[in-house]
Amino acid sequence: MTSPRVGIIGIGQSAFRSRRDDASYPDLVREAVALAMRDANVEFDDLEAVVYSLSPDAMVGIGNAERLGVDAVGARNKRFLRINTGGATGISSVAAAYYHIASGACDIVLTAGADKVGECGDSQTVLNKIWDPTYERQLPLGTINMLAMSGVRYMHHYGMTEEDMARVVVKNRRHAALNPNAHLRKETTIEEVMASRYISWPIKLFDCCPQSSGGGAMVLASEKYIRERKLDAVWITGVGHCSETYYLGDRMGTGFTADHADAFALRNAFTRAYRMAGITNPREQVDVAELYSPFSNTEFHAIDAAGLAEVGRSPAMLREGYFQIGGKTPVCPSGGTLCTNAIAVTAMMRIAEAALQVWGRAGGHQVKGARVGIANGNGGDHQFFGAMVVEA
Amino acid sequence: MPYNIQPGVIGCAIEPSISGVRRSLEEIIYDIAQAALADARLTIDDIDGIVVAGNDQYDGRAISIMAASGSVGGVDRDILSTPSASEHAFVLGALRVATGQFRTQLVVAWSPTEAHSLAEVQRLAADPYYHRRLPLDELSSHALQAAALGHAATDADELALSVIAKNRAQGAHAYPDLCTVTANTDAIRASRPIRWPLREAMVAPAVSGAVAMVLAGADFVAERRSEAPAWIRGMGWATEASFLGDRDLSRAPGLEAAAAQAYAEAGLTDPAGAVDLAEVADDTPYQELLAYEALRFCPRGQWGRRMAEGTFARGGRLPVNLSGGAQTLNPVYCTGLIRIAEVANQVRGRAGRHQQPNARSGIAHGASGFAMQYNTVAVLSRMPTGALS
Repeated sequence: MTSPRVGIIGIGQSAFRSRRDDASYPDLVREAVALAMRDANVEFDDLEAVVYSLSPDAMVGIGNAERLGVDAVGARNKRFLRINTGGATGISSVAAAYYHIASGACDIVLTAGADKVGECGDSQTVLNKIWDPTYERQLPLGTINMLAMSGVRYMHHYGMTEEDMARVVVKNRRHAALNPNAHLRKETTIEEVMASRYISWPIKLFDCCPQSSGGGAMVLASEKYIRERKLDAVWITGVGHCSETYYLGDRMGTGFTADHADAFALRNAFTRAYRMAGITNPREQVDVAELYSPFSNTEFHAIDAAGLAEVGRSPAMLREGYFQIGGKTPVCPSGGTLCTNAIAVTAMMRIAEAALQVWGRAGGHQVKGARVGIANGNGGDHQFFGAMVVEA
Repeated sequence: MPYNIQPGVIGCAIEPSISGVRRSLEEIIYDIAQAALADARLTIDDIDGIVVAGNDQYDGRAISIMAASGSVGGVDRDILSTPSASEHAFVLGALRVATGQFRTQLVVAWSPTEAHSLAEVQRLAADPYYHRRLPLDELSSHALQAAALGHAATDADELALSVIAKNRAQGAHAYPDLCTVTANTDAIRASRPIRWPLREAMVAPAVSGAVAMVLAGADFVAERRSEAPAWIRGMGWATEASFLGDRDLSRAPGLEAAAAQAYAEAGLTDPAGAVDLAEVADDTPYQELLAYEALRFCPRGQWGRRMAEGTFARGGRLPVNLSGGAQTLNPVYCTGLIRIAEVANQVRGRAGRHQQPNARSGIAHGASGFAMQYNTVAVLSRMPTGALS
């Protein structure tokens, strides 16, 4: 039996900044929800369910903080649940909203959330607590040195250089300068990136995403709902998730499930999403990609995993201009996670941006003629991966 | 039923009280997942996707799903997590099967009690400006709910003692090796006050627990010729407002909304007459009373008469909490999913000592948060369509 098609009918992105002292946590959620509902031209009474997007509670300093967001998303006495897959939470929440509709249970669902990463004190202190308390927490691991180790292995296997990493930053900052919703919008140069201080070799300050505060929301609806009301929509045609091991040590050496240089579970998530969407040759069929890359080096293995390059070829293809606006397959035309990272909704914004692209509503960073877009989210210790295909 | 493919429960495993320190949390989660798979006569290779529910604060980790993903077989699989409530993992697992895009789902939740103070952990979930410094924990919120109900229904305080006696007698029968709480009304009355109007013996002590369920679609069940599943005939879930001051705690409109959704899907107009049993939230006995009303088992004016008739006791027309409920064993975070698993086991004829003879359908209610903020209702039946019993 074929499940109902699911469309995106509204998108809301709040202002993303280092601090949002002007808005409480629920205020931030509400800001994005109001924008999405205005975009979809729906009222709270229209919504049948809400999927709340929130990664670690510790980031906002409130246990089960989704409870405080209930009124901000208009969920009182309605279907409501929260998703958390770490950094992948945003895309997992859109997937959960999708399942509400594709199952036949609902016709219109809101997914929304917010984060105050910029005001959490130090996100790496919080994120250290994701690791095993006995072995890995005390190293101390953080998401930066975790992905620095991935970068080192990618260098070792495929010859990526620190200049290649800097080129990702230059590209994405140039894109972000065109996107009014991005947090870091100042263009930079390879020299400036190379001169920034090391955080965890080979990752330097400019190779890192910012700590952003902000909110995001999307309204999804069934094809029946959309057709009956003659609404404008773009369609979710592929959804896939896949996970890796928890212990980083299980991703190094030989004979293990996968190598920490790569993103095998992300590849499998994309494989599932592509199979569902009927995409057999992503390099030819995908027009635009919003890939979740909080550090410059991780954009390369994300490009590889999405099938937009042969494994290890993405640094060379980037140098040739493949992945910039105007290139063959622009990657992160919004500036991506590297320029804006309010963790709870970052992966949701990847889909939102891909949707805006295929909708032809991306404004200054529009990729001309985009009809098929892809997006992904990564969470945990590079462990949970979600991938999605959106089409006009 | 609105679902694209009808989902059903084909395997369950419940550890309602785990004592000792011989197993790590990862091992407990592995054991419960494997036990549910064995009950379904499947292996992890048969599982298309996984939904888990854990609470970061109880587990002492950020993103507690991470450590669990290996134990539940999540590597190279599609795994999602619903930290809002254990019962929400069931909802999402069922929705995923109902899309037809997944043939099976493994649903797992756990609740350790090693945190220095569960009350302090719960206090962190109160809003940081007003409620946290009261200080508010879940027991305090449940007490406010009990006080509100006691004020609105003058017989509630006396009936609450009867609910405790009923559930603990049933719990002693269901889990004789695990049950440690008293059903003696005089002893309960004499126990020390903890949060007015609650006394120490009116709530069961928190225990560690774990629960897992295997869900499958009708096509998979037919292909594998699985033993009769507990078919999901209807599901509802709803939240109330966050601020207690915005709520009338003597009522349960969120539960009424969840029940209305589930009953509409199941085509139920007279739930009390249509099903054979129920498992409902009973962290406090007042919650079970509220559930009688919100689930439309009987209005509050008839609570006393129906309870005197034994309607909700073992052997009665609609036994409630044959497992003993959370009044007997309360593994805090996974209590809601256990209520659903208990009903699924009853409907499948696999409830063990507390099996209701000829049980063919039941209603499960799980609640989470301050004063039952979240409510989930599932209608399960041995029959995939038509009459429930």
